[in-house]
Amino acid sequence: MLDLLAYAQSSSGQINTSYTLITLIFYALIAVLFFMPGVQQKMYTYFVARDIENGLTKLENFSKNAKKKTIELLKKSGAANAEELTEKFAEWFVIDPVNVEPTDIINRMKLLTRTSEDKIRQIIMLSLPNLDPVTRSKIQVSAEVVNALNTIYKVIRHYLLLGKKLNSYYILLQLQSIVPMIIKMAESYEKAQDVFIKGIPVGDSLGPLVASRFLMNINEKWTPSREVVAGETEFEGRRLIVLKAEGPMPTVGTPGEAVENVINKLEGRVNRIITVDAAAKLEGEQTGSIAEGVGVAMGDPGPEKIAIERVAVKYNIPIDAVIVKMSMEEAITEMPKEVYDASEKVVEMVKQLIRERTKPGDTVVLIGVGNTCGVAQ
Amino acid sequence: MSQSSQQQQKTVVTVLKCLKCSYTVERPFKEGDFIPKIDGTCPNDGSPLYIWGIYAKSLVEKK
Repeated sequence: MLDLLAYAQSSSGQINTSYTLITLIFYALIAVLFFMPGVQQKMYTYFVARDIENGLTKLENFSKNAKKKTIELLKKSGAANAEELTEKFAEWFVIDPVNVEPTDIINRMKLLTRTSEDKIRQIIMLSLPNLDPVTRSKIQVSAEVVNALNTIYKVIRHYLLLGKKLNSYYILLQLQSIVPMIIKMAESYEKAQDVFIKGIPVGDSLGPLVASRFLMNINEKWTPSREVVAGETEFEGRRLIVLKAEGPMPTVGTPGEAVENVINKLEGRVNRIITVDAAAKLEGEQTGSIAEGVGVAMGDPGPEKIAIERVAVKYNIPIDAVIVKMSMEEAITEMPKEVYDASEKVVEMVKQLIRERTKPGDTVVLIGVGNTCGVAQ
Repeated sequence: MSQSSQQQQKTVVTVLKCLKCSYTVERPFKEGDFIPKIDGTCPNDGSPLYIWGIYAKSLVEKK
């Protein structure tokens, strides 16, 4: 019995010694981790990279889904080489014009943008020669979505791999801070693709919707520039010329060139230009809130907007802007009720603006700017 | 319920309107609908019913 007790005491002592040893090793490891800068940084780098990789998987899925939907749309339209076409759209690029010499940059931008649009259209029409304009526009929008999502995915992947290769915590940290915003943007693009394919008006269709309220009672319409429709009516003694992109296909048209052509044809005898468009809201602002200001309300990279500004300056015509605020996602997905409700208010506001700022006998040009998906004239 | 799943709960409706008597009716959106397509006749006066609006309606009430 005494022997047994002695054995038990000695084994308990061994356990205590082992426990103390393990604890010491543990604290030593902690000390190594926290006081050796290289190890600590590698640990941070690992966790940051893992977080970005999770985001990258989402971006890859968005890109794959967009490609899948485009392939389905192309196959449904009768394309034999749907996969090949989709891959071509995904890798499509436009090289920015030289900007260290800004002279004539607008014309160079316009040329490159138009050439790119024409080329995409040509690629689609070569595979599907009997395609109707509405389906062609839907495929074009899908191609843009595929291209945008593929580019986003590849750029984020590039910086992730670069950060890992250089073992640079700071490259990865910067990337980690923007990835949630990029994911949100990519998610909106993916949702937008479905909406455009179905032909549902988007938040950005606000401008064309307002213009269509004036155009729907006009029988005689003409095309002042590519994919733009114009109509002339009389409003309380004023000559009112209304322009919008040609719907219901998803396109923004060429509103700048259209306004330029219309005003030049009238030899500048225009008293007011009114632009109506959707605008990006700031966080905290209400969707559907309306604001009025001065200038060309247009989210164009340059060529279309400047065409209106130039023709207005040439003939000294004041430009008014009416905007309806919404988020980026709302602008490219189904039109929210708040924006739809705002469109009716904007129609009345435009009428009031014409009454207040022009007199009978004057000529007014009204432009409904935006993507006219699901909105005809 | 997460914010994103709340945002996804929306339905797209088509608003039809008679421009003569202002009769208005809503129905779910169908592919091929566009503004201002004529879609049927007014039950009140037989005038054409125009697709007056298409918008997304949230199924979740805002608090």
